Amino acid sequence: MPLEGELVLLREEQREDLDFFRALRNDLRTQAWSKTLPPDYTEPMYAKRFEAREFSYDPREGRFTIVHKEAGKRAGLVSYTDLERRFSATIGIIVAREFWGTGVALDAQEVLLRFLFLELGVRVVRLWASSGNPRAVELAQKSGFQVSARMRQAIYKDGVPCDTMIVDLLREEYFARHPELTDSLPPL
Amino acid sequence: MAAVSPFSTETLSSAEALILRPFEPEDAPALQAYLNHPTLTGRRYLPWSSPDYPPLARQQVGKVIEKWSQTEEGLNLAVVQRESGHLIGHAECSWEWDPHSPSVSVVIDPAYQRQGFGSQVLSLLLAYLYGYTPAHNVSCWIADWNRPALAFAAHHGFRECGRTRRAGIRQGAYFDVVVMDLLRPEWQQGGGGQHAP
Repeated sequence: MPLEGELVLLREEQREDLDFFRALRNDLRTQAWSKTLPPDYTEPMYAKRFEAREFSYDPREGRFTIVHKEAGKRAGLVSYTDLERRFSATIGIIVAREFWGTGVALDAQEVLLRFLFLELGVRVVRLWASSGNPRAVELAQKSGFQVSARMRQAIYKDGVPCDTMIVDLLREEYFARHPELTDSLPPL
Repeated sequence: MAAVSPFSTETLSSAEALILRPFEPEDAPALQAYLNHPTLTGRRYLPWSSPDYPPLARQQVGKVIEKWSQTEEGLNLAVVQRESGHLIGHAECSWEWDPHSPSVSVVIDPAYQRQGFGSQVLSLLLAYLYGYTPAHNVSCWIADWNRPALAFAAHHGFRECGRTRRAGIRQGAYFDVVVMDLLRPEWQQGGGGQHAP
């Protein structure tokens, strides 16, 4: 069963998605970190990464294709990494340009957060962003994330030094924004 | 101009002088001894996925050394007293994410703390990063309960730029990690470059 929101489904990556991922990754507008450059990724690279995934009962990351329900199209990808089980995870999201401003990113982010807090039982979710990408920070803030650290001039993007922003969302902050949900996890 | 190693304080007297060198498997006993010192609990700056609270067995310490020796985008160095050859700590620079903004950490055996060794090591790391790499922002990440380390970093010019909330659990409560950074111009203005090797 895919994870489902109002606008999107999050489902596992499929081989047919790889060329879509390649195109997303090769769009400078969706890349914040120099480590992910240059924008010359090829489909075989993605295929290799896809094939390298192995079955595990202890995955530390999850990667999902965002599918727009109404359009029936791939809209982006959303992931979590650095999972410390039952404690924390770091999320990331890339949405295709044609879906910017449609609510897809927020819906996908909310679906992933719900999964992380309700199913994986994490206590905090983090996100790294760049001050050169205010849309990413604003998107996080719409889900209740707070800017908790701002490392000065820590990255270089589009010709200018930018700050690295660390934003985070505590479990109780998430549930306070979702009165329709009950947090049954005992606090410390 | 005489050749000077960026990894030793050769201008100091031999009793004070340090050498930073790679770890070797033979360092395991000395490393295990101080890593398991109770006052270092939770602030050992071990590789990701290594346990930071429980005592470490010799075999686990061996794995730590092995992981450190495999570091490709950074340095994991043993802090050794030059005169005695004693291992008294370890230090790390990591630019795994971006050489523009590496992080540093310094751990000194409690038996050798408050003797200026930590300051020497940090000065060497900063002189290396700013003298030999394109680093612009150097950061350090310190648990909010580790007040001596916070004061130490501030003394060396680092400024708090925020914190990662709920970074861990200690004594039944969550704690934050304070993020501190130091920009190259700040380090230069603070006189950091004057004694760089």
